Amino acid sequence: MRSPYSEHDVIILENVSKRYFLHSQHIVELKKAILHLPAFVKANRARQPFWALRDVSLTIRRGESVGIIGPNGAGKSTLLRIVSRLAPLTKGKLTVRGRVSPLLELGAGFHPQINGRENAVLNAVLLGLSHKEAKEKLPEILEFSELGEFIDQPMRTYSSGMYVRLGFAVAVHVRPKILLVDEVLAVGDAEFQHKCFDHIEKLRRDKVTIVLVSHDLENVKRFCDRAILLNHGVVAADGRPKEVVAEYLSSPSGFAAASVSQADH
Amino acid sequence: MAAAASAGYADSLRRANLRDVARTWELLLLLTVRDVKLRYEGTVLGFLWTLAKPLLLALVFSFALSRVLRIEVGDAPYVLFLLSALFPWTWFQSSIQFSAGSFSNNAALLKKVYFPRFVLPFSVVTSQLIHFLLSIPILALLLLVAGYRPGPEWLLGVPLLMAIQLLMLAGAVLLVASFNVFLRDLEHLVEVLMLLWLYLTPILYPLSLVKERIGSIIYLNPMATLIQAWRDLFLYNQLPGIEIWPALVFAVVALVAGSIAFKALEGQFEVAL
Repeated sequence: MRSPYSEHDVIILENVSKRYFLHSQHIVELKKAILHLPAFVKANRARQPFWALRDVSLTIRRGESVGIIGPNGAGKSTLLRIVSRLAPLTKGKLTVRGRVSPLLELGAGFHPQINGRENAVLNAVLLGLSHKEAKEKLPEILEFSELGEFIDQPMRTYSSGMYVRLGFAVAVHVRPKILLVDEVLAVGDAEFQHKCFDHIEKLRRDKVTIVLVSHDLENVKRFCDRAILLNHGVVAADGRPKEVVAEYLSSPSGFAAASVSQADH
Repeated sequence: MAAAASAGYADSLRRANLRDVARTWELLLLLTVRDVKLRYEGTVLGFLWTLAKPLLLALVFSFALSRVLRIEVGDAPYVLFLLSALFPWTWFQSSIQFSAGSFSNNAALLKKVYFPRFVLPFSVVTSQLIHFLLSIPILALLLLVAGYRPGPEWLLGVPLLMAIQLLMLAGAVLLVASFNVFLRDLEHLVEVLMLLWLYLTPILYPLSLVKERIGSIIYLNPMATLIQAWRDLFLYNQLPGIEIWPALVFAVVALVAGSIAFKALEGQFEVAL
C-alpha cells in the first residue's frame, strides 16, 4: 500500500489520543495499600480519565517551524512529550523521521560531583550525539559556555547561571534534525533569552524542523511560519501564524492570553 | 525516482538503527565509567575501597565464623574459602541493591530526555562488574601466597561464570528497578532480602554443610550452585559442569520476567515518577 505521506514529512501524527488519569495513585505506598485496602481500591476505581489529546492528526514537513499555541491545559506540552517519545500514546500512530532533540530542560542529567567537561560529553550523548561526535564538539561547547577554568571543576561548584550556560551550550551543538522547544526558554535573563532565540533563528535558516510551544504569541508570529491552535486536546486551527493567533485572540479563551500578551509588551 | 528515494530512505533508516544501537553501548559505557568514579568519590582511599571493603568484610566474617563459631571448611584457609565466594557475591548483591533506585532516583532525567532507559540499571551492574574484576588479581595473589596455583582454567571459567551471572543480573535489576518506581518500599525490602539470601547461600559455610541436612532443596537457590562454581574455580581450578543448570534456568527466567516487567511498566514511568 502506498503511504499518503511524502518523505518530506518528518513528524506525522495519525489520530493520536492521549489519556491521563486524574487523582490516581501511581506510586503505591505499601502501608497505605495494606491498611486502607478498601479505600485504596475505591480510589483506583474512581479515577477520572482526562483526554489531553483527542484524535489529533497533523503532519509537519522538513524545515517547517511550527508554533503550538492555546490556553493552559490544551495539550501543548503533551504533544511535545509525545513527539519526543517521553510519553507513550494511548491511541493512534506517530511517525518521526530524524533525530529529535527536546529542549525541554537544559542540562538534564548533569551530575554535581562530576566536572563540567565530562557532564557535557554525557549530556551530548544523552541528547543524541555519538561519543565521537560529542568529543569532537567539546571544544566548541566549552568555548560557547564561557566557563573557562571552571570546566574542570565539579559542577556542584557552579552557579545556576553557569549550569544553564553549559546546558545550553550542549543543546546548541547537538545538531538535531528536529528541535522541540518548550517554554523553558522563557526563564533566564533577557540576554540569555536573546541568545536562545538567535540560536533558534540560526537553526531555522539551516532547515532544522522546529516545534515551539509558547504562550508568547509575538514570538510565534516572529519565529514560526505555521501555527497550530490547540484547545481541549483538539486542533482548533492550523495555518499562517498571523491568522491563527488572531483566531485564538478572538476566541473566549484567547481573551486571557491577549491580556497577558498586552502586559508583556 | 520514487523507488530510488524510498530505497534511500530505507537505507538511512537502517543507518539510524545501527547508530542507535552503537549509541546505546556508548551510553552504557559512559554511565559505567561515571558510576565507577562516583562510588568512592571524595573518600581518602578512593578506589582502594573496592578492594579494602571485601577484604575487611572477610576479616570480620572469618573472625566471627572460623574463630568464634568454628565452621569446618576443609583444607583451605577460611579467608580464601570465604573470599572466593564473597567477591562474586558482592558483585551480585551490590548490583541489585544499588540499581533498585535507578529509575526512581533519576526522575528528572527520565522525564526530560528520551534514551534507552534500561542503560541506567545496567550501568550499575557493569560498574560493579568492574569492581569485581579488579578484585580477581587480589584473590589470585592471596592464593599464590597460600601456596595455591591459579590455573589456565580461569581463562575459560571466569568469562563463563561471569556471563551467566551477568544475564541473571540483567533480568533481576530490570525487574527490581521497574517495580521500584511504583513501589518504593521495594528498595528497602531488597536490602533485607539480600542479607537473607547471603545467609541462605553457601558463602560463609561450605555447600556440603547444608546438603547433608536439607538435601537437594539447596538447588532451589540458583546462587548456591553459581557461588559453588566460582569457589571450585578459584580454589581448585575446577571448571563448572552441568550442575550449574539452576543458575542457567534462573538467568533465563529473570531475563524474561525482567524484560516483560520493564516493557509493561516503562510507559507508566512518566506519570509515576
